[in-house]
Amino acid sequence: MKKSIDDIKTNLSEALELPIDITLDLPKIIIVGNKEISIFNHKGIIEYTSLMIRINSRIGIIKVIGEDLEIKNILTEEILIVGNIENVEIIS
Amino acid sequence: MLAIKIWNYLKGYVIIRIEGLSLERLLNLALTNNIYLWDVKKLNNFQVEVSVSLKGLKELEVLINKVGCKEEILIRNGFPFILERMKKRKMFVGGFIIFFFIIFMLSSFIWKIEINGALQTPTEDIISFLNENGVSTGTPKMAISEEDLKLLLVNEYDYFSFINIKTQGVKLVIEVKEEDLPPEIVDRNYPANIVARKKGVITKVVARNGDAVVKAGQIVKENQILISGAMESADDSFYLVHADGEVLARTRYEATVEEQIVKKVEKETGRKIEQNGLKINKRGIKFIKDIPFDNYKEYIEEKKLINWEAIDFPIKILTYEYREVELKEIKQDIDFIKQANQIKAIEKINNEIYEGAEIVSKEVVHNIDGNILTTTVYVEAIEEIGKKVIINN
Repeated sequence: MKKSIDDIKTNLSEALELPIDITLDLPKIIIVGNKEISIFNHKGIIEYTSLMIRINSRIGIIKVIGEDLEIKNILTEEILIVGNIENVEIIS
Repeated sequence: MLAIKIWNYLKGYVIIRIEGLSLERLLNLALTNNIYLWDVKKLNNFQVEVSVSLKGLKELEVLINKVGCKEEILIRNGFPFILERMKKRKMFVGGFIIFFFIIFMLSSFIWKIEINGALQTPTEDIISFLNENGVSTGTPKMAISEEDLKLLLVNEYDYFSFINIKTQGVKLVIEVKEEDLPPEIVDRNYPANIVARKKGVITKVVARNGDAVVKAGQIVKENQILISGAMESADDSFYLVHADGEVLARTRYEATVEEQIVKKVEKETGRKIEQNGLKINKRGIKFIKDIPFDNYKEYIEEKKLINWEAIDFPIKILTYEYREVELKEIKQDIDFIKQANQIKAIEKINNEIYEGAEIVSKEVVHNIDGNILTTTVYVEAIEEIGKKVIINN
């Protein structure tokens, strides 16, 4: 049932050229080189160490692996991570 | 983000270290409670360093107790904490304020009066006159009105042809230009030289006081010393006196007048054409039409598109009017021009000649170069050329 609603939403946003991250409530991930990653529309932190950060989102867990990871900013909508990013994984 | 950081600095923030096991849960709780955290650094599995605003700290402390962690304040940053520190160092702050106050106070007084350009008037004289009228070193700048001071000086010294007064920092600078004074008026209490007012050939030197340094027959330039106020005494040292005497010299005046022999006179024929243009701000646009005249005069008329008194409307309509003119040549009588030129030239010389000068010779030279008749009149006169200038002024 939920999947069919999502399909309708996807088709609708494609037809009306609406941004898909807003209509489907998806997280938006912006990676700048290997230095910076910002995740909008997240659902909280699951695990935080300087080598790995796991962040919850609607599509599953976003796993950031790297060195000297640091949360520069943390807001309800946005989270900004800096450091040497090696791997970004989405586990759904 | 920068604006938020500046805001946080002004409101004050702290860097705290939190110790505990369920740190991720604490961060999520902070998120849901809308507590802004930044520079979150995980030191190890049970320690984290967090920056948080003062307001956020109170709310965070409640959450820290809830999840069973401990917090420790490492650094206090921001304006409120600086203010707090300043409250303890009252003398330092007081000294700071007094420092600026003193600088401000001291710079609002006149500390030096400088007078430039007074050659014939002793500076001490002007300064003592200023002192009598309430302007001296130590007078507040506010109390000095430059316009009033100018009027005062003009009234006292009527031979000043130009006075400029300005304050440069703590210095009052008065610039003065004097008219040439008859030698008797210059104050005799001050040592002075007699210098040449203009160039000429010396015919007679009578030094009543001081050392005559020029001889009859010598050519002198403007401002050359004629009678020196520095006298040599018996033991080779100098002493200063107020030089006095008469210096007569032969001086030369000349004036040139030009006139065209064949004059071109313009006469309008009555034919004219008009064309319009636009002017926006300072740029003009002209709608070009060929002008069918060989010789013409251009008249431009400006009209505002909207005529409001208060607003200078930038778009204007220009009307160009071209009137045809005819050139006519009129030949004038040469003897008549020579006469007229000579009279004009002598008038010119009479205006600039020194009062009391004795005219010894006059020479008139006419020169025809093509269409132009040039008349030059030379006048030689014997006159007093001495001018007193105060030494060390």
